[in-house]
Amino acid sequence: MKLLGRTNLYYFFFSIITYIIIAGSFYVVVEHLIYSEVEERLRVERLDFENFVSTNAWTEGSFFVEYKINLQRANDTLQPILAFKDTVLINRYNQQPVPFREYSFYSKIGGRPYRVSIRKSLIESITLLEYITITMLLSLSVGLALLFIFQRRISKVLWKPFFETLTKAKEFEVNDAKPLNLDQQDIFEFNELNSSLVKMTDKIARDYNNLKQFTENASHEIQTPLAMINSRVEELIQVKGLSTDQMRWIQDIYESTLRLSKMNYALLLLAKIDNGQFYGHDQINVSEMVEEKLASFEEIFNLKIIHLTYHKTGDLLLDMNTTLCDVLITNLINNAVKHNINPGKIGITLSLDQFVIENSGEPLSTDPASLFERFRKQNKASNSLGLGLAIVKKICDVHHLSIRYDWTGEVHRVVLSKR
Amino acid sequence: MKILVIEDERILAESICSHLGKEGFIVEVALSYDDATEKINLYSYDCVVVDINLPDGTGFDIVEMLKKIKSASGIIIISARDALEDRIKSLEIGSDDYLTKPFHLSELNARVKALLRRRQFGGSNDILYNEIRINYNARTVFINNIDVPLSKKEYDLLLYFISNVNIALTKASMAEHLWGDNIDSADSFDILYSHIKNLRKKLTDKGCQDYIQSIYGIGYKFGDN
Repeated sequence: MKLLGRTNLYYFFFSIITYIIIAGSFYVVVEHLIYSEVEERLRVERLDFENFVSTNAWTEGSFFVEYKINLQRANDTLQPILAFKDTVLINRYNQQPVPFREYSFYSKIGGRPYRVSIRKSLIESITLLEYITITMLLSLSVGLALLFIFQRRISKVLWKPFFETLTKAKEFEVNDAKPLNLDQQDIFEFNELNSSLVKMTDKIARDYNNLKQFTENASHEIQTPLAMINSRVEELIQVKGLSTDQMRWIQDIYESTLRLSKMNYALLLLAKIDNGQFYGHDQINVSEMVEEKLASFEEIFNLKIIHLTYHKTGDLLLDMNTTLCDVLITNLINNAVKHNINPGKIGITLSLDQFVIENSGEPLSTDPASLFERFRKQNKASNSLGLGLAIVKKICDVHHLSIRYDWTGEVHRVVLSKR
Repeated sequence: MKILVIEDERILAESICSHLGKEGFIVEVALSYDDATEKINLYSYDCVVVDINLPDGTGFDIVEMLKKIKSASGIIIISARDALEDRIKSLEIGSDDYLTKPFHLSELNARVKALLRRRQFGGSNDILYNEIRINYNARTVFINNIDVPLSKKEYDLLLYFISNVNIALTKASMAEHLWGDNIDSADSFDILYSHIKNLRKKLTDKGCQDYIQSIYGIGYKFGDN
């Protein structure tokens, strides 16, 4: 729910409640006022009545006003009676029910107890009450509506800097390695927000730059000693008269160093992809690239007696970084070669939205999904680094491609598809 | 032929120096940027091998300086960074080749020789080794003036051998030279073996002496001693 929507909702509920409370209490107060006024008058009329009956004899015609006064013979005055009560009587002429306030008391007329009820019509008072209430409610509604519109306008103006900041924050790209550029605001809180955002993004940008620098430096620092070992070993093998054992040791050193530098290269590649250091996307025709790669793999297919079937139903176009696409395809083909049997098969199918590579191979003993983890190898003793598929997965992740590994019997299949 | 090696890592510089020295080059070493600029301005070299990362400057600046003083030397950049942008930049500013660390000394040797060949001979010229004659431009090989048809890979292999005569070459360096890092080493060694077998047969069939010696476990050596 949007912020302004939420404020409006709260305001709406608050208004309704206020409205009910104000209207209710107003009604109660006005009604109370009217009743006390009417009752006051009835009390005065009781005095008038008692004065009248003490000096004059009572006759039915003494009061001619309809329902004004009602006398009833009472046997005793001990029965308690309700002093004031509401009652409805029918108008004699138009048969309309009319509300009355009735005041009952005992009085002695000519030495005999009577129960006397004096009544007063409430019709004018109720009309008055209605008018007052309606006027009051109308003006209250108008007031609340005006307030509502006003606060909406105000909110929009007040929150404007916030939404500007939000838009800029959304556009923040860590790859740009630049902190947010936010303007000074009049409102203290927004200023605080902006300055903490600027501080935060500045730190992110600096950390990112440091990390990039670190990866590069780490690569340099590790590659250089490796280069030195390599070069010294290459010099060493030029020496004549080394024993077979010595040659074997040198060979072991040499191979381990090569392996190490390959591993360093692969880990560095992973870190670089992680850091998003490969920008530059192009529309790449994967089919073309695959065909080029297959040509350079031809020798290896012949050597390992691998039968290749290549099938294309459409050109797969992907928006990718060229270097990474190259690495992706090379790793997938390499993987299919490495884990193949001899003689074996590789099948590649390209369609408009999929790249499928299948190879014959030993049944899998691990969970296919785990093959995409770093240093995860099907065969622990194998010569592979266990990073090839991790790199593939990483490349797919950053390019929002989906990749799936499955196998049935002796066929292993990697499916790369557009998401 | 004079070569200047600009590399701040002393051990690496020494290795390059002694390796290229064995090939008959006069090699000088500059261990820092300042040292390098001084040498460049004082002497002229046929080839400059320069590291991008120097403690007091970058290799790019040295390349730009060489271009400014209109030096005729060939330039090979060596770098620990395998970034495409660096490769592109180094070629843009006028260097001739780019090699990523760690590299094989024999590979550097082959690159230096190829570069010098391109620069010095200009037009068509032949590389001679006893009875073997390679026409560099036409990519053809003759044994005692008899044409030997070779496949592309066999030709590349022979050229690599001829560039590194009497040097023990590791299988890894040869595989990398032929296929780059496209193919996994374990597999490429087997293909390498079959290529070498074929090359040897083609050469000896035409009456060439068998110069290819195998060094157990390590690789091969091309030469007559």
